[in-house]
Amino acid sequence: MKKRFALRFAPGLVEQPLVSKLVRAYDVDVNILNADVSSGRGGKLIVDLVGRTEAIKQSVSWLGGIGVVVSEIVKELVFNQDSCVSCGGCTAVCSSGALQMDREWKLVYDASKCVVCGLCVNACPLRLFELSMERGA
Amino acid sequence: MERTIRKKRNQDEGDAHMAKTIAQINEKIKAGSVVVVTAEEFTAMARTKEPGQLAQEVDVVTTATFGPMCSSGAVINFGHWNPGIRMEDITLNDVPVYQGLAAVDGYIGATAESKYDCQYGGAHVIEDLIAGKELRLHARGKGTDCYPTKEIDTYINKDVVNEFYLFDPRNAYQNYGAATNSTSKIKYTYMGCLLPSFGNVTYSTSGELSPLLNDPYLRTIGLGTRIFLGGTQGYVVWNGTQFNTAKERNSHGIPLGGGATLAVIGDAKEMSTEFIRAAYYEKYGVSMFVGLGIPIPVLDDDMAGRLAISNSEIETYVFDYGVDGHPAVGKVNYAELQSGKIELNGKKVKTAPLSSLSVARDIADTLCGWIKDGRFLLSEPVARFPMDSSVEPLRQRRAGQDASEGAER
Repeated sequence: MKKRFALRFAPGLVEQPLVSKLVRAYDVDVNILNADVSSGRGGKLIVDLVGRTEAIKQSVSWLGGIGVVVSEIVKELVFNQDSCVSCGGCTAVCSSGALQMDREWKLVYDASKCVVCGLCVNACPLRLFELSMERGA
Repeated sequence: MERTIRKKRNQDEGDAHMAKTIAQINEKIKAGSVVVVTAEEFTAMARTKEPGQLAQEVDVVTTATFGPMCSSGAVINFGHWNPGIRMEDITLNDVPVYQGLAAVDGYIGATAESKYDCQYGGAHVIEDLIAGKELRLHARGKGTDCYPTKEIDTYINKDVVNEFYLFDPRNAYQNYGAATNSTSKIKYTYMGCLLPSFGNVTYSTSGELSPLLNDPYLRTIGLGTRIFLGGTQGYVVWNGTQFNTAKERNSHGIPLGGGATLAVIGDAKEMSTEFIRAAYYEKYGVSMFVGLGIPIPVLDDDMAGRLAISNSEIETYVFDYGVDGHPAVGKVNYAELQSGKIELNGKKVKTAPLSSLSVARDIADTLCGWIKDGRFLLSEPVARFPMDSSVEPLRQRRAGQDASEGAER
């Protein structure tokens, strides 16, 4: 199974090799979708954990144990598509390919490609995007 | 250029059997025998047929655009209060309404911002009124012998006000420059979010479907032209502001950026939020998407040739919004822009539209339907717009200083 998490950690944890530990100790694949990490400031990772259900559960519990604040991303991006006029303004900033114009110049949104960068939230002149709520894990 | 057009027109007039008049086209509309296609369809037909043949076969071509147009707004007459008030300070949902008119007339500009929420503005007021919503009206006056009331606080909707009509001083820009950003920081502009280091290019016309690109010398579009505006019939009532017919043109007569504009009017009570939508551009402000469509009569070979214009023949400059004065950094055509990538400084750069081509197509199709159904007749312009109009910047000058002196600065 695959689950998406936001991992927030204090400056002290920046030096820890979190990802390789997860891969070796818990046998989960880690796909980093977005990383905002800097020395002395702590950081935030958006990751997909792919593996057995039990392995993901243990990974989350280990991360929690060492002080990482883990929350599951329930929905990546809330898009009020019914009100969309397909202007295309959001596609200017979407580098993941989640937001694209189709052959008929209608906007199509592919949630599976979204990396939750949030640039579309401010790029949409109709304000139809919202970053979703996270659920504590 | 104007001389060559005039010469061409004289030739066309010589071939009288070829030419059609607007009156003849209207007779066909009434008889239900009119042939009408969209500008994109016409351009596709022109790949296999000569303009002469197309001028015989097609009577009307519909053009359309649905993009953000800041220079838009609406006139409202609120009706008289009892006892009367001379409204000298007016807000609708906390958005200031221009009050410098008669007692209960107001003008709500699309870009006016709410006193309390910069993401809600005049365009939202207009959209909400069109949607049939109730809006809070607050007004103050100093109180006069004839208008003694000093303050009112009430609700209005479009059905309780006397007039509510859109009057946009500048819509339908003929062409517009594309935008990019050379700096190391994201720029939030009216041309959308421009990513750093030439990270993207945005553009904002509907290309070969766009009204004034299909009649680049405004032969058929002038004062009084009946159009599609916001979902209902409207009219061209003047040239738009910043009307520029002296702009550099390419070999197809297409101005490279800017160009002509139109002032338009229409009954907002009859409009639809499908074709009038409020917009907020991050760190810029409020604007309004306006749906505008213009039918162009295929009078003769010359018009057919103009209407056959294709995206690859429509060019514009790419301007760098990261630098003061927005210098040009490249020149592209709309086939390239619509392909999703252009080459800029030897590098592939992603492109994105800001005006909705899919809604513009809906408008062009709707207008086709109205004309086929005999519900929309074409109009002869009452007067044509000047073909020698240029746009001047605002300069610091002393009172009485002549323009050429100012230009030397």
